[in-house]
Amino acid sequence: MSHQVTIEPTGETIEVGEDQTVLDAALRAGVYLPHACVHGLCGTCKVEVLEGEVDHGDASPFALMDMERAEGMSLTCTATPLSDLVVEADIEVDDDARSIPVRDFAATVTRIEAFTPRIIGIFLAVDKDTIDFQAGQYINLHVPGVDKPRAFSIASSPSDSGTIELNVCLVPGGEATTWLHANLEIGDRLEFSGPYGRFFVRISHPEAMLFLAGGSGLSSPKSMIIEMLERGTSHEITLVYGARTEGDLYYRELFEELAAKHANFTYVPALSDEPDSSGWSGHRGFVDAVAAQLFDGRFAGMKAYICGPPPMVDACVSTLMKGRLFERDMYMENFFDQSSTDTRVKSPLFKSI
Amino acid sequence: MANRINMRDRYKHMTRLGWETSYQPMEKVFPYDRYEGIKVNDWNEWEDPFRMTMDSYWKYQGEKEKKLYAIMDAFSQSNGHLNISDARYVNALKLFLQGVSPLEYQAHRGFARQGRHFTGEGARVACQMQSLDELRHVQTQVHGMSQYNKFFDGFHEFPWWHDRVWYLSVPKSFFDDANSAGPFEFMVAIGFSFEYVLTNLLFVPFMSGAAYNGDMSTVTFGFSAQSDEARHMTLGLQAMQFMLEQHEDNVPIVQRWIDKWLWRGYKVLSLVSAMMDYMLPESPMSWKEAWEMYFEENGGALFNDLARYGITVPSYAEICAKEKDHLSHQVWGILYNHTAAAAMHTWVPDDAKMNWLSEKYPDTFDKYYRPRFEYWRDQEEAGNRYYSQTLPLVCQTCQIPMGFTEIEDPTLVAYRTTEYSGDKYHFCSDPCMKIFTDEPEKFCQAWMPPQQIFQGNCGGEGLPAVLEHYKFNLGADNMDYAGSPDETNWNKWKGLDGAGDGQVKAS
Repeated sequence: MSHQVTIEPTGETIEVGEDQTVLDAALRAGVYLPHACVHGLCGTCKVEVLEGEVDHGDASPFALMDMERAEGMSLTCTATPLSDLVVEADIEVDDDARSIPVRDFAATVTRIEAFTPRIIGIFLAVDKDTIDFQAGQYINLHVPGVDKPRAFSIASSPSDSGTIELNVCLVPGGEATTWLHANLEIGDRLEFSGPYGRFFVRISHPEAMLFLAGGSGLSSPKSMIIEMLERGTSHEITLVYGARTEGDLYYRELFEELAAKHANFTYVPALSDEPDSSGWSGHRGFVDAVAAQLFDGRFAGMKAYICGPPPMVDACVSTLMKGRLFERDMYMENFFDQSSTDTRVKSPLFKSI
Repeated sequence: MANRINMRDRYKHMTRLGWETSYQPMEKVFPYDRYEGIKVNDWNEWEDPFRMTMDSYWKYQGEKEKKLYAIMDAFSQSNGHLNISDARYVNALKLFLQGVSPLEYQAHRGFARQGRHFTGEGARVACQMQSLDELRHVQTQVHGMSQYNKFFDGFHEFPWWHDRVWYLSVPKSFFDDANSAGPFEFMVAIGFSFEYVLTNLLFVPFMSGAAYNGDMSTVTFGFSAQSDEARHMTLGLQAMQFMLEQHEDNVPIVQRWIDKWLWRGYKVLSLVSAMMDYMLPESPMSWKEAWEMYFEENGGALFNDLARYGITVPSYAEICAKEKDHLSHQVWGILYNHTAAAAMHTWVPDDAKMNWLSEKYPDTFDKYYRPRFEYWRDQEEAGNRYYSQTLPLVCQTCQIPMGFTEIEDPTLVAYRTTEYSGDKYHFCSDPCMKIFTDEPEKFCQAWMPPQQIFQGNCGGEGLPAVLEHYKFNLGADNMDYAGSPDETNWNKWKGLDGAGDGQVKAS
């Protein structure tokens, strides 16, 4: 039987499976908790259990002492819940994060649009209801015939609360995206749950914002930027969007119009594989290289938001760090497939890069 | 939950130790964290990874002590030393108490000093707590091993030995170098290189060696210390990240320190390599396997991440990768040759151990080292056990006798020489020489045991005078295990015969 675990002080709630440790479930759900040894030996992951019962598992008596057990402390790397829990972890509260409970929704497909040869837009009308979410969050969509739900970022603005827009890129061999591209029709019924994730804009900080996006990673930045501009933000905002060729660019007119209307918004499409012979007069190269050109390789004093395929994210992180922007000012969309197991040896140098 | 203060705020309110000084300018109150060239824009970006308040620190450590001492008492009352695999194992503990525990004390002093001298309060609080941890470690180690001191030789004068005996100048000079550096270099030397990158290669071999050889007292100490160790590792990483993020001019300085200190630590660990492969009757893993797992794999992942800051893997990683097949064998050979002047015992590995070594080192052991050990065994059996009667030339940087070979030719001993200010200096390897030539004015002052003996500062002329100065019980603390009082006693306690022939047999 699985249990709900609420993590204070952020108030996020995660589902922890039978025999699963709290830490494992949290990391898989994209919720960062401090940790180091992951074997109950060091005590880095110590939390206070405010409500509910846990099995401490193999926690070392030196890392979690009797006195601490009596005081309700526990190690998330070995603890499995025996009931629903509320735990308090040593993590930062972010004033810009909203805590919105996850709900289940049913919706009807109202529109399907082919944006590029590989990306379609799916527009869903939520049944007799509205959905509250923070720009940058994602939903878990149940795709007919596919075992587990799949995560898709919401591309529409939260102001349009009756509609959810998803940008779905066709993944070669991907069961869910193949089905959606081939079989989905207007009028179809779909179920999803959400909103999930802690990817959001740090609007209370005055720093200029740099959005680096590639492929269908445009979804979250689109939602975030539209919402901010709708609200008349004064932040300097730059969006560098990477695609292979001109035919792979989408929402170009939308962003060009926004840029024309708002002096504080700059839109920079960057093409990495556009034939030299074409008439393209814009930027050429990968997102990170174009961003480095735009800012002379210096990013200190900005806040960066990165969304896209892992190699692009990785290249962007390297370029930003080279330009003296570090983890505390970088935000990435991380959604973890429940089944994903990354077996690479990781160093604890970075929390979420 | 609305009125509850969360963990972070609670911590903040409990640890306000920073203020702008007014009677004296800040740079006069904190004069030492500037001269190394590390540029700091904002000390507030240093996060204290310990996040523990003093009141809870005492409470936690107090309970850890209670548990540990309960087990050590039980170990002592039940004569736990009789349950170890073999008395040869005790030599690993002698090496630990003589060579490693005094480093914990040195770390205590070093972190106490940085805990005074960093301008940032986060750094100060973290260093002060680590300083207390290190003091606890040395105390519990001394207590834990005092049980062995009642029954075995080679423990009784460990602090005196640490400051004087030739092979112990290897770890001692390493820490003297760190403690005489500035606060930021100390953090790279000890906090990062030693506590973070290399600690698993030091601690895990000793503790898993203890577990494999039935030494529950040391295992329990290991668990007790490991619960502090993760905090120390986090502090090392934090210090590193802080320097790299504060200013780009810091990057080349930090790179030079990483290059220096990983090599310095690696050379100290060569003693551990011999312990793992030769001293443990039951071996959990070989040095080579440990190096691959803890340095190549885990360290590799770390350097992949550090690359984003512009930090690169030290250029000599290649040398270490090739040397892992040779290191422990060469060091054991050095100890075997000079054990007349060492407060521990050595022996030629028996057939079972040599077969294990062949299996773990298929490319090198049978080719280069087995013939050597078999020759030494033949000589021993013929009554010709030879103990070196002369003083070895030791490397000016790592202070290990010059017995390491060229990487491309394991039969040729490596010699490097340079001149500074009219004097000649000798080195075991290119990286050791590079460290000297970067700071010759520091390393030319190193306290070199053979030179000190020749200058008459260690008791007089000749080996007997020096050993007396060392306060060795001759024929008990030193020489081979075979024929030692340790062996005789062990066989008596365990009802074994064969005292004196060097092999323990069930009677």
